[in-house]
Amino acid sequence: MTQLAGARAGVPLIDGIDKVTGRARYTADLDHRGALVGRILRSPCSHAQILRLDVERARRLPGVVAILTGEDCRVPYGVLPIAMNEYPLARGKVRYRGEPVAAVAAIDAETAALALSLIELEVHELPAYYEADQARAADAVRIHDDKPGNLEREVHHSFGDVAAGFATADLVRETVIDCAEVNHAQIEPHAALAEFDPSTGRLTMQSVSQVTFYLHMMLARCLEMDESRIRVIKPFVGGGFGARVEVLNFELVTAMLARTAGGKVAMELTREETFITHRARPQTRIRMKLGLGRDGRLRACECEVVQRGGAYAGYGVITILYAGSLLHGLYDLPAVRYDGYRVYANLPPCGAMRGHGSVDTRHAFELLLDRMARELGLDPFEVRRRNLLHAPTRTLNELAINSYGLAECLDRVEAASGWRTRRGRLPRGKGLGMACSHYVSGAAKPIHWTGEPHAVVNVKVDWDGSVTAFTGAADIGQGSSTMVAIAVAETLGLPIEQVRVIAADSATTPKDNGAYSSRITFMVGNAAIDAARRLRTLLTEAAARRLERDPADIDCTDGRFRSLSAADQGISFTDAVKAALVDQGTLTVKGTFTCPPEAQGGKHRGGAVGSTMGFSYAAQVVEVSVDEDTGRVSVDRVWVALDCGFAINPLAVRGQIEGAVWMGMGQALMEETRYLNGMPAHASLLEYRMPTSLDSPPIDAMIVESIDPNGPFGAKEASEGALASFAPALAAAIADAIGVDLDVLPATPDRVLDAVIARRRRERLDALAGGRR
Amino acid sequence: MTAPLPLPRLRLIRPTTVEAAIAARADCPQHEFLAGGTDLLVNMRRGLLAPPALIDITGIAELGEMRTTGDRTRIGALVPLARLAEDPVIADRHAALQAAAASIAAPGHRRLGTVGGNLCLQTRCIYFNQSAWWRAANGACLKSGGEVCHVAPEGTRCHAAFSGDLAPALIALDADIEVARPGGRRRVACADLYHEEGRAHLRLAADEIVTAIEVPATATRSGYLKERVRRSFDFPLAGVAIACRIEGERLSALRIGVTGTNSRPLLIDGTDALLGHRVDESLLTAAEKLVAKQVRPMRTTLFPSNHRRSIAAALTRRLLGTLAAPETAAVRGPSTEGP
Amino acid sequence: MFEPDPIPGKRLLRIRLNGRWREDAVADDQLLVDYLRETAGLTGTKTGCDGGECGACTVLVDDDPVPSCLTLAVRCEGRSVETIEGLGAGGRLHRLQRAFHEKLGAQCGFCTPGMIMAAEGLLRRCPDPSEAQIRAALAGNLCRCTGYVKIVESVRAAVQAGT
Ligand SMILES: Cc1cc2nc3c(=O)[nH]c(=O)nc-3n(C[C@H](O)[C@H](O)[C@H](O)COP(=O)(O)OP(=O)(O)OC[C@H]3O[C@@H](n4cnc5c(N)ncnc54)[C@H](O)[C@@H]3O)c2cc1C
Ligand code: SF4
Ligand code: FES
Ligand code: FES
Repeated sequence: MTQLAGARAGVPLIDGIDKVTGRARYTADLDHRGALVGRILRSPCSHAQILRLDVERARRLPGVVAILTGEDCRVPYGVLPIAMNEYPLARGKVRYRGEPVAAVAAIDAETAALALSLIELEVHELPAYYEADQARAADAVRIHDDKPGNLEREVHHSFGDVAAGFATADLVRETVIDCAEVNHAQIEPHAALAEFDPSTGRLTMQSVSQVTFYLHMMLARCLEMDESRIRVIKPFVGGGFGARVEVLNFELVTAMLARTAGGKVAMELTREETFITHRARPQTRIRMKLGLGRDGRLRACECEVVQRGGAYAGYGVITILYAGSLLHGLYDLPAVRYDGYRVYANLPPCGAMRGHGSVDTRHAFELLLDRMARELGLDPFEVRRRNLLHAPTRTLNELAINSYGLAECLDRVEAASGWRTRRGRLPRGKGLGMACSHYVSGAAKPIHWTGEPHAVVNVKVDWDGSVTAFTGAADIGQGSSTMVAIAVAETLGLPIEQVRVIAADSATTPKDNGAYSSRITFMVGNAAIDAARRLRTLLTEAAARRLERDPADIDCTDGRFRSLSAADQGISFTDAVKAALVDQGTLTVKGTFTCPPEAQGGKHRGGAVGSTMGFSYAAQVVEVSVDEDTGRVSVDRVWVALDCGFAINPLAVRGQIEGAVWMGMGQALMEETRYLNGMPAHASLLEYRMPTSLDSPPIDAMIVESIDPNGPFGAKEASEGALASFAPALAAAIADAIGVDLDVLPATPDRVLDAVIARRRRERLDALAGGRR
Repeated sequence: MTAPLPLPRLRLIRPTTVEAAIAARADCPQHEFLAGGTDLLVNMRRGLLAPPALIDITGIAELGEMRTTGDRTRIGALVPLARLAEDPVIADRHAALQAAAASIAAPGHRRLGTVGGNLCLQTRCIYFNQSAWWRAANGACLKSGGEVCHVAPEGTRCHAAFSGDLAPALIALDADIEVARPGGRRRVACADLYHEEGRAHLRLAADEIVTAIEVPATATRSGYLKERVRRSFDFPLAGVAIACRIEGERLSALRIGVTGTNSRPLLIDGTDALLGHRVDESLLTAAEKLVAKQVRPMRTTLFPSNHRRSIAAALTRRLLGTLAAPETAAVRGPSTEGP
Repeated sequence: MFEPDPIPGKRLLRIRLNGRWREDAVADDQLLVDYLRETAGLTGTKTGCDGGECGACTVLVDDDPVPSCLTLAVRCEGRSVETIEGLGAGGRLHRLQRAFHEKLGAQCGFCTPGMIMAAEGLLRRCPDPSEAQIRAALAGNLCRCTGYVKIVESVRAAVQAGT
């Protein structure tokens, strides 16, 4: 055991040096020599029929090489096979302000901009809807012809006897919580570089994607090309968080421009356009009802969720299913009813964002639980402890739970934060709050079901003794390539430096579904271990032959193959490789991972969503200061513990926990996307306020290892699970600090101040009423 | 060039004297003065203006000087904000000014950004500080050459908010602004540099340039408090500067400057009525009311106007209360960098 | 009719870029960030926003960290400009680069060059900063990955490592 043994600090990222030296090339840094500049014309209206789109004047502009409109886009796309209702450029109708309607490729940026200004667009405007309830109104015009009531999907799930649960509860409370729409706001703006070679008919695409395989597939589909003529390469990617887990319109447009121009096209979006591309967490209204016994046991949960999904389907169906299915899996819940509504609106399409689907409902659940515990005089930690699950088990909706470290997470943060001695004893204006959350380690059923394994990794060894792992998994900063390197090195008993990882280039690496739903460590990690084990077997056999011993007598550690019975008998790793290559030549082995059917969720409609091989668990305590005069909330400190099964790379796990907690903080405190008549009012990093270093607290991240029976080395996911508990812990801390219960997110100064004023008014009325009595 | 949002084509004029700078402006009033560029270049990249040339004034040595004499501090228009934020003499003599400078934008902007640029900062509005596509799609407003104001459609003026942080401090500190024009210089009280009109908030003729500020060093306590969502980058939702003197536990001088709420920085009227009193609850309430009554925030930001008003009032109460406390001499900003 | 404008005049820009003097013909309207990335081919300096809102483009101009997207290239005439590529000599990592690598101050790495240059500016002025000073000095550099925790740790580690 090299990397995993002992008290482990973890290892730096294998591509870290490229990042700190500036050598790492992100999409906008690639070789742009000879590239045309691509630009997109965007719709000025929210909802309209396109009457005329005249590109002739633009086409005649010297320097314009290619120009495209919706007419050139015959095939719709979308991430879900059942809901492909979007075209790279709008056809016939525009459905949100900022939707791409035409695109040009020109010799330089100036010409491209000038060309866009020469395109004439004439439309017939239709009524536009910016709120879910307007869009659902009986007389609302349909945004998509096939979707009456502008309802993309409704979900109704009921498990257990909900009515009986509420009947036996000592306390039943219901509340409505509103969560604003937020955005991933990764620091790298969107970009793509496409090159089409007319002589070979081949397309090479480089882009900021988290899902190169999906991109490959959609390029073939929308460009009506043979898949084999396309190569997709992922350069360094400056963050994703879900922004890039579906194929995005500008990527398809860039490739189409390159093909039309017969050359290379570079597309860089502005920050504003990056925001408009969106695909993030929708504005959500949650009606949450819980029944609790005096003993602190949860008796029933009823939850209604309305998500304002924006103008196209995207991941919408999955998001609304996740919101319900992940009510399960954290606590022992005897009865759950869920009604979800995903609604179309004339706004940029929403999609998947870190904690996909779970964050806002978890907020409402935890927040209400906290308030009810207070009402019953129960400690928030105690309430959680009374409702713990016991692994292995299955939830009501058939999610498999194989490992469960929540109890230890609770203990760790309770102790570290000094909860028992400090809670309730802080001065006014300061408060402590806590909450829990969980997340999946990869969807057990892939969206595009082909019967293939869930993950494939190839490992090659050659005469020089070097080991190269090939994975399609997209490293977008989370450190997945490093994880693969560790898994392979560990299995082969090598130092990590001896393993190279080649990732996400469709010409060399095996297909991978991509970086989403925290699937990579679990699935790709297992596949990497499988490949390395197979290689180890081959090398062990070769070493045994060379040493003239039985393979069962050979052990491989610290870069050597040794006889177990005769300690002085051994050969180096390189010599074992040389022995193995005799008669064989270069060795390439393949490892795979497949989720067994029993992990793939219930048989009910939508039952696959939420199903996973393992859940991560988190508990956190948040300490705040609240200024009652200005409404400002400051987060002073956070203690968080995450059960990630096993930390393959503790350094990276801590980094992921900190990042997730912090992103939860951004959503809870200040981030939101807002629209003025459908115009994005937040589309800059000044108006979309993410916390700065001065707004960010120290975060004490603790790792809990429950050792999942199926995880690679026992590992589960580590980068999403801790996000969703931040907001409810913050709300609980605010309540503790100033006695105000907030029903909205984010807790911006104006919202907090409004709540303070409302509380004061209530107190005055109460005092008056008391006086009269 | 593939990067989006380049600057529009332009020419740079680089005078080395104040006279040459104003002559260049007099030649073509569409030319703009360029100081730190942290406001102007952002606005130009968004297409808010496209001057044919920029008059780069950073080569004018005189404007970069800062001098302290017995009773005044003279600060050249090109003095960078970072220098004001870090200078111990400023912190000591004009705490409100130091605190205001330290609160502006982020560290990099404070190094580039200048005193003159901060005073002459464009007014801001959520319907204006947007890309060309945005403004065209939404329909031009008064400030961008259209017929109607999206914030107050019935009115005829623009309410874009003045959001500079230095001006309220200079107003509270009773500073003068020195302006050069063809044939000479004039001085105005800081508050008089501005109009209550978002389209043309500066009372400067096209051929005038701000050359310096002069701050009297009177024996006052002063401070600046700014409320914003984040502790960096953000413009003020409201900012309040106060300079006051307490003699024998009674208030003997009081000036309040407010930013972020109107199209100009405000000098609060009626503070004289509070003089001669102890700074107690009722005085603080009176001061708070004065501010709440005079500020006129409009929906030029995504934050509700009533909230910006409450904040201006709350900051006033807090700052005056703190300044009046015997142990306080000043409310300074964090000394941001350096040992 | 719709001819693009004729190419405007350029002037000769002489700057000391990462320690070496160089001369280029540069248009008046060229931003320093574009000069660095496109003329000098130094793509380590990043663009994260539409101007002045993220700090990804931070470089040192005469030792001061400033956003290169708010700086005209021609205004750097005669001055010293340093980018991430200029740190570390002879293939050796600079102490901040080493610390950001080892302490995971860089996750996706996109904010990293700007972050390191801002930190380097701080350390040149203030060799032993407090945590508050580190946070203040980095307050113009947004990071979406790390929550700044490991960034602050990295700067501290670099201080401890000495020059
Ligand atoms: C993200 C971001 C956040 C910001 N936050 C804040 C903030 O919190 N508070 C704040 O106050 N500002 C803020 N700013 C704005 C700006 O950075 C500062 O106001 C800065 O002081 C402007 O100075 P400058 O020298 O860069 O001005 P420039 O951009 O050079 O000039 C601004 C305007 O003033 C004119 N001008 C400049 N000098 C003179 C002169 N001597 N005489 C006459 N006219 C002149 C210019 O022609 C131009 O119209 C922010 C900017 C950004 C991009
Ligand atoms: S206040 Fe009215 S006129 Fe002024 S910028 Fe805003 S919308 Fe335009
Ligand atoms: S690119 Fe964002 S500040 Fe320069
Ligand atoms: S490391 Fe990704 S933005 Fe900072």
